[in-house]
Amino acid sequence: MSYTLRGRLETRLAGSFVPLVAACAIALVLKSWWPVELAAIMIGTGLALDAAIYHRLFSYQPGWLAFPQALLELGLVMAIVFAVRIASPLDFAVLFFTGSWLLGQVLVHAGFPVARLSYGEDGGELGAAGPTVASAAVAVLAAAAGVAWATQPPTVHLSAGVHQGPLLIDHSQKLIGEAGAVVRGGIVITSDDVTVRNVAVTGGEIGIQIDGAENVKIEHVRVSGTSFDAIQARRSSVTIRDCLIHSPVGEYTQGIDISFGFDLLPSLIEGCTILGGREGIVTHFANVHIQDNHVSGTTLRALGLTEMSMVMVEGNDVQNALGVGIYCGDYSECMIEDNVVGGTRPDMASGDRTRLGYAIVAHSGAKAEIADNELSRNASAAKAFLGARITAE
Amino acid sequence: MGGGLAGFTAYATLRHGGLAPAEIAVFGTDPDPASEWRQRAAAIRQRRMRSESDGHVAPTAFPGLAVRSAIRHRDALPLVQSLFDRYHPSVADFLEHVAEVRERSGWDASFRRRRIGAIRAVDGGFELDDAGTFAHVLMAPGHPGLAFPEGVEGDERAVHSYQPHDYAGEIEVVGAGMAAATEWLNALAAGAAVTSVRRREPERRPLNLPRELFTRRGLRGFHATSKEQRVGLLRGWSTPSYPSGRDWDEPLERARREGRFRILPELNGGQQIICATGFKRGFRNDSLLAALVDIHALETADGWIALAPDSTVPSLTDETRTLSVAGVPAQWAFPAADTLAGHKYAARRFLRRIRACRTR
Repeated sequence: MSYTLRGRLETRLAGSFVPLVAACAIALVLKSWWPVELAAIMIGTGLALDAAIYHRLFSYQPGWLAFPQALLELGLVMAIVFAVRIASPLDFAVLFFTGSWLLGQVLVHAGFPVARLSYGEDGGELGAAGPTVASAAVAVLAAAAGVAWATQPPTVHLSAGVHQGPLLIDHSQKLIGEAGAVVRGGIVITSDDVTVRNVAVTGGEIGIQIDGAENVKIEHVRVSGTSFDAIQARRSSVTIRDCLIHSPVGEYTQGIDISFGFDLLPSLIEGCTILGGREGIVTHFANVHIQDNHVSGTTLRALGLTEMSMVMVEGNDVQNALGVGIYCGDYSECMIEDNVVGGTRPDMASGDRTRLGYAIVAHSGAKAEIADNELSRNASAAKAFLGARITAE
Repeated sequence: MGGGLAGFTAYATLRHGGLAPAEIAVFGTDPDPASEWRQRAAAIRQRRMRSESDGHVAPTAFPGLAVRSAIRHRDALPLVQSLFDRYHPSVADFLEHVAEVRERSGWDASFRRRRIGAIRAVDGGFELDDAGTFAHVLMAPGHPGLAFPEGVEGDERAVHSYQPHDYAGEIEVVGAGMAAATEWLNALAAGAAVTSVRRREPERRPLNLPRELFTRRGLRGFHATSKEQRVGLLRGWSTPSYPSGRDWDEPLERARREGRFRILPELNGGQQIICATGFKRGFRNDSLLAALVDIHALETADGWIALAPDSTVPSLTDETRTLSVAGVPAQWAFPAADTLAGHKYAARRFLRRIRACRTR
């Protein structure tokens, strides 16, 4: 087919109409915007490539060219999805793209030529129907964007100074702290679609407690002086980014604990610094991505991933843990890659042979896949206990 | 008007567009729309079409001949070949497809065995001899006759490639297009020594013309040209061509090494002269078109009638009537008008005109 520019754009938009509507429907069911965001990125990427590259490069395009074009578009779409942190699961995104592409191919080769006899001669233009269908697709997209904008949670600004907690957030909102905003006594989040940003939390048992909530974002927070968990998420899906946790109070304090949300969308902990405490990051029966964090000076384990968790541990810096650096236990599956683990000390006082200063431990039927980790100055490197397995790539 | 493939393609398109057989009259000399084409293909012993999957006479591009072949033979190879523009239907498959569409479309119910000698614009339409007056007429008169090189016609050694012929031991083939290339290979396969007589080197391309000229992408610029520019373009595109590929090149190279194939600029006294020189060009070679131009003082350019981009005659077409041209005389609107794609181009725009006509 030798497309005209208008033909390419009309064909793209008309072919995107059904996937876009499907994305809106899925978004309604899931009560989340990421399907629409994914569809919008897919359509936008395609239109940009059509206008900027395909039209100039291919005055004629044979059928086979659709395959490398699809791979290029899929790669770009996924790169954008990751770059702008769309919460779409990878398998869904690939499936959605593939389905949309297949539908597009059926329409280009069969649907449009049957519906409009001169489709091929017209270079993919759809005649009077073209602008209508294209406008409809744009209208659906615009409507979805409008609804998304209109239903954005309200933003609450927390003024500088100390606010006595606990603060209860039980409806979706963005809590943005001004410079110097401090909450004493903790924050409790029980609603979906909550963002907490630029807030310092001090004191209390739990600094930030998330309970039964999804799509929660905790960004640029500082938590100190807690006696139990600095950040605790139960039955929740949460993104924690760029946090600082320090100065724990008491012997059993944990940094971040994400538990019992295995069936929910994966949680992410990224770019956090955790100093001291019993355990730095803990997961129980959860699906979590832990990357680019700094954890040091813990007294039990730096990272404790247990109770059938599924965890990707990537690019973290774990230093000076007592007993164990990274622990993958109790039938969990852990991929441990590109981490630096150093200075892990043996915990002789515990009398526990699994705590002799191991950088990485797999325990009780767990499976740990390790690759490209830098283990230095540890009393021991890596070891599996009680039916656990460590495999190196 | 015209019972060949161009007229037949238009008929199938009109039927798809909702016109009943009783609303359409086809004037021709042979009820088999592929009759002339079949004879020409047989004369040059053509086995594969130059066109691809969408080179068919059905009104919609889908399903193309590759899809039909894949379904019929339960073999995905034609579809894969089609993805790479490597699928060329066999002549037998194409003719079978024509027969199917003929049967399905009701062609025979509309066909009237009659040659139209003259066409005149009258109030409310066009008068075709004494066959009646029609509001919408598509003229598909076909090629105006075989073209022979100057001084060769009448030579008892000479035969046109589109006339039935056998091969002598030493053959000179005049021309360098698709028909000539087919003759080279067939004559070499029959054991003859072949001389290709040509003054211009052929272009090597898969279709008659560059692909973008089959769609609006290339046509938009073409339609925007001045009369002089367009004449120049059409003349330039008349350079002979045939596809590239090993199937064509290897037998020629092998024969060249064996001393059985050579190229000369002039005839050199061979036992047999095959004139693969195509058809006469220009409306003056067609008495119907020549009379139409003269009676209605139609605008022309060199040998072409100056048609509108939708392949209609502008001065004789308005909201109430349509005079459209299909086949080789429609090159002014669609450079590849003498291909199946060209037939469809004219047919679809003719249908669009009829649909838009308030008095239909």
